[in-house]
This record gives sequence, C-alpha cells and structure tokens, in this order.
Amino acid sequence: MSDDMERWSNEDVALVDLLDRVIGGGVVITGEVVIGIAGVDLVYLGLQLVLAPAHEVEQHVALGRRSA
Amino acid sequence: MLLYAVVPGDATAPDRQGLTGHRLEIIRSALAAMIVEECTGDFHATKENSLAFAELICSLKTIAPMLPIRFPTMLATQSAVLAQLQANETAWHHRLTELQGLSEVVIRAQWPEPEPERIDASFIPTGTSYLLSRAAALQRRDASVAEISELVREWVREIKVLPSQQGIRIACLVANDDIPELKEAVLGWQQAGDHRHVVVNGPWPPFSFVVDQEAVGA
Repeated sequence: MSDDMERWSNEDVALVDLLDRVIGGGVVITGEVVIGIAGVDLVYLGLQLVLAPAHEVEQHVALGRRSA
Repeated sequence: MLLYAVVPGDATAPDRQGLTGHRLEIIRSALAAMIVEECTGDFHATKENSLAFAELICSLKTIAPMLPIRFPTMLATQSAVLAQLQANETAWHHRLTELQGLSEVVIRAQWPEPEPERIDASFIPTGTSYLLSRAAALQRRDASVAEISELVREWVREIKVLPSQQGIRIACLVANDDIPELKEAVLGWQQAGDHRHVVVNGPWPPFSFVVDQEAVGA
C-alpha cells in the first residue's frame, strides 16, 4: 500500500474528496457583458464567473505582481 | 451575495446563518430558487471557509433536492441572482426533478503498483521501458474503472470518473435507499482483491452531477 494511503485516515480522505467536489463541482454561473460607448457595442465578453478558488487566484495575482 | 445552491421554486427558506454571519435568504423565480447570503466586506475563500461551506451545503440537503453552486461564487446584487435564475430555471428545474432522492458518493480505489521488472543488475531504465510501464499502469486503471462500474451498475443512475493522481476516483449518483447496498458491494470487492484499498465517501449533494450529461453531449 502506498505511503499516502497509510498516512491518511479515511476521514482525511473523505474531507479531501468533499473539498475537491465543493471547489471542482457544482453549478458554474456563466454570463456575458457587452461593453459599448455611445450606444455602439464594441466588446463582447463571455464570462465564467468562477474559474478557480479565490485564494489561488490571489496567489497568481501576487506572483504576477512580483514578476512584473 | 455569496451563492449556495439552486433549489426548487417552492422550497422553504433555511433557518440558518451563512459563512459571514448573515441569515441565509432565498431568491425565487417561477421554477427555481437560489439560497444566497448577503455578503458585506471582505470574504476570503480559505480552507476553513471551504470546509464550512461544504458542511453547510450537506446540512441543507435535507431541506430539498439541490444543485450546489461551485464555491466561491458571488454576484453583486439580488437582481443579478434573479437574472441567472430566470435564464436557467427550466434546465435547473428539470435537473432538480431528476435528482430527487439521489445523492453522490465517491469511490476511491488505490492499489500498490508492481515493481518494474529488472532483467539483471545492469538493467538501465530506458524511455521505452518507462512508456511501457505507464501504458501498463493505465491499462490496470481502466480495467479497475470498468470492474467497479460493472460492480455498482445495479444501483448507480449516473457515473463519472474524476481526475486522480493516484488510483481512481469514481463519482456515482445513487438513490439514497441504495447507498448501504452499494457500500457493502464495494467493500466486498476490496476484500476479494490483493492489497487494494477502497473507500466510499459520501453521501453528499450531487456536486458532480449538476448538469445532465446526456443533455450536454446531445
């Protein structure tokens, strides 16, 4: 048996699976935005409002700032 | 507003506080409703908040069939929530009807990988030997998925293989009454095999089955 499965209790594994489903499953809200000026539609954006957990997004933003 | 779940249009509002301490509200359209929480100030999707969200969603499951919303999803206003409801209510209502009395369980199976064969002490692994061992591992994985799928076919309404770095994870949509039998069958399968480790997690709300897969594929 692998070390991982020996080290983790069944409760731990259940928790990991549940969190994975909470963040990776569920309904994804989608939307669309049209940006226009003076009544003329200029830009269309198709949106998926949730693409990643927010804390991961924050980490990516912070890394981007550091590398900029 | 922090979004929790889509429920039937006539579902009663839960008498609960949400993650940020506000009372949960319900916003309704004709065919569906959404459980939400007014969310003022900063909200961070920490591990603790994710876990609290999961526990709250699981506790709400007793109120009505539900489609959990992926955490963390927020919309700015009640009217934005209502617009989402109105845009999707027919599909959501249909799916909620299908999911009545069903829950998700996740079967996680893992087994020891065999040591690579060595012809003699001077054997040096090559790219080819690596690829062959990977192919064998994938074949073992596919065979196990097929074996478990066949094992639980009697009780499962829908099935979905989830990504997994080790072993396999299979999400199953099962009638609540059938879950004990399914668990018993899977644990029997574990005992019949050599050193394989199997865990059945859940039952949970149908996180992996919020969308009708047949409708998506059509």
